[in-house]
Parts: sequence; structure tokens; C-alpha cells
Amino acid sequence: MKEGRDMNRTRFEQLLEAYGADFARWPASERAAGAAFASKHANEIAAALREARALDAALDAARGVAPETTALAVRVLAAAPKRPQGVDRRVGWALAACAVFGVALGYGAGLMAPVAAADDEYFSIAFEAPSLAPGDDG
Amino acid sequence: MFDPDAEFVRKAGAGDARAAESLVRRHLPRMVSLARRMLSDAAEAEDVAQEVFLRVWREAPRWKPGAAKFETWMHRVALNLCYDRLRRRRETPDAEAGLHVADPTPLASEAWLAQQRARAVQAALSALPERQRAAIALVHFQELSNIAAAEMLEVSVEALESLLARGRRALKAALADVAQDLIGDADGASRG
Repeated sequence: MKEGRDMNRTRFEQLLEAYGADFARWPASERAAGAAFASKHANEIAAALREARALDAALDAARGVAPETTALAVRVLAAAPKRPQGVDRRVGWALAACAVFGVALGYGAGLMAPVAAADDEYFSIAFEAPSLAPGDDG
Repeated sequence: MFDPDAEFVRKAGAGDARAAESLVRRHLPRMVSLARRMLSDAAEAEDVAQEVFLRVWREAPRWKPGAAKFETWMHRVALNLCYDRLRRRRETPDAEAGLHVADPTPLASEAWLAQQRARAVQAALSALPERQRAAIALVHFQELSNIAAAEMLEVSVEALESLLARGRRALKAALADVAQDLIGDADGASRG
């Protein structure tokens, strides 16, 4: 970019040839200087400006209407990245947290539970059953 | 460097459908317009725009705002795809390439004249070397700044100005003759 370059006829014509007669298309750093030069030297540059405007108008004639892209947009969006299955990552974290909590709860409950009735019965049978060894009868 | 698209690209890469829609709404018509200007073929232009977005979706999950803005990167991809197609056309010339099918719908003389002008300008643009055509497409039709256009073409601003000036000089010469023909046709039509 030619920041701060002085505007003179040579530079003005270079810019006119490159960007056309619409100062909005000129480099931002030279737009104001170009417009000021054009109003100060209107007679000198009138022919060059007219030619550039004619070409701008010819190009604008080919601008046409904006393309209709509705159907194309549908095809393009169909190929866009999708979220991973499970829809929402937060839902996945919530399910994982529930599972961990459930396991911990089960473990804790197991530690705190009283000895089962089946175990009582086992001890009763082991220590109180009559002996079946021969010779014990009499 | 602020990139207005960066957040949308990041979200689209993570599967956010709304972000993807925003990118498509903002950039798809511009990609189609640019490709039409470069290729003079509506169907091929759609193919190019679709391919650009397939690459966007592929790159989006790992997109990092870096040296180039997203829009600049997209335009570079589109231009390179257009250059590839133009090169393939040169290598395998198609006898029907460049021929336009006549529109059977009768047009009022003004609409007909406007259509002829548009075709003449597009034909003159198509005859330009592709880098000059791309420079004019970016600055005049896409209305991008000189700095953005130079980045997209990967040249200096001075080189961009040279491309633009040479392109516009060639167009001025080509369209001077065409303009005379058009004026003659219009006069003939108004007399008839």
C-alpha cells in the first residue's frame, strides 16, 4: 500500500486505470486525496474520468442478478459436520455422573447392611447339627 | 486481526448447524458469483462453490485463525479450483465450450439489448488472462478492498494494480468495438 503518497496526475491516472472512476474502490489511503485531486483538476482529467466511467458502466451491465442458491445451499448443508451421536455432550456427562453415583451408592449400602439371614442359618447348621459319626449313638 | 467468521467456523466444525447455515448464507452466493465470473458457466460455478464448502467442512474442525482470514482462504480455494478447471478446458478443448444456447423466450428490445451487453462483457472478461480476470472479479464484482484482493491472489498491492490496469485496458479495447455493434443493432431494431 502506498500510504501517504502524494497525489499527482501520474498517480491519479494509475489509480483510475486500475480501480476505475468510483473512488469507493480506490485504496482507502488514497481515496480522499484522489477525490480532492479530481475536483481541483476537473478539466484536466475529464476525458480520462469519462472513459473510466464508461468501462465501469459496461462492467456493471454484466453484473446480473444475484445467483439463486437455495437448492445448492441444501446440498452444501447436508454435508456439514454433525454433532457426535448422543446429541448433546452435557447429556453424556450427566449420564456418566449418574452411573458413578449409582455404583458408589450400591457399594456404600453393601458395607452398611446387616449380615444376611442366610448366613445366620449357615452358622446354626455348622455348630448345632447332631454328629453322624459311628459310635456316638449310645 | 479480527476475523468475523472465526467463531462460526469453530462452531460449524463442532457440528453446530446454525453456525454452518450462517457461513453458507454469507458466503455461498459470493462463491457462486466469483466462479461464474471466472468460468462463464453456471453449472460449473455451482460445482466449484460446493467443492469449496466441502473443503470448509473438512477444515473447520481444526481451523485456527492464523495469517489469513477465513474469507481470504475461501476465495483462494475457489480461485484455485477455477484455475484447475480452466487448465483442464485448455487441455481438453470442448467443441461446444463457450457457446451459449439461445434463449427461446422473446425479449423486449431493452431486455434483449441488456442481455447482449452482459454477454459481450462476459465474453470480453472470459478472453482476459485468468489472473487479470480474477483481479477484476475480486475488486469490481466482489467489491473487495485492494488489500483483501491482493491477499487472495497472493500478490503485492502493486502487482494487483498492474493486473487490474492491464485487464481494464484490454476490456476497454474489446468493448469499444462491441459497443459500436450494440449501438448499431439497437438502431436497426428501433427502425424495424
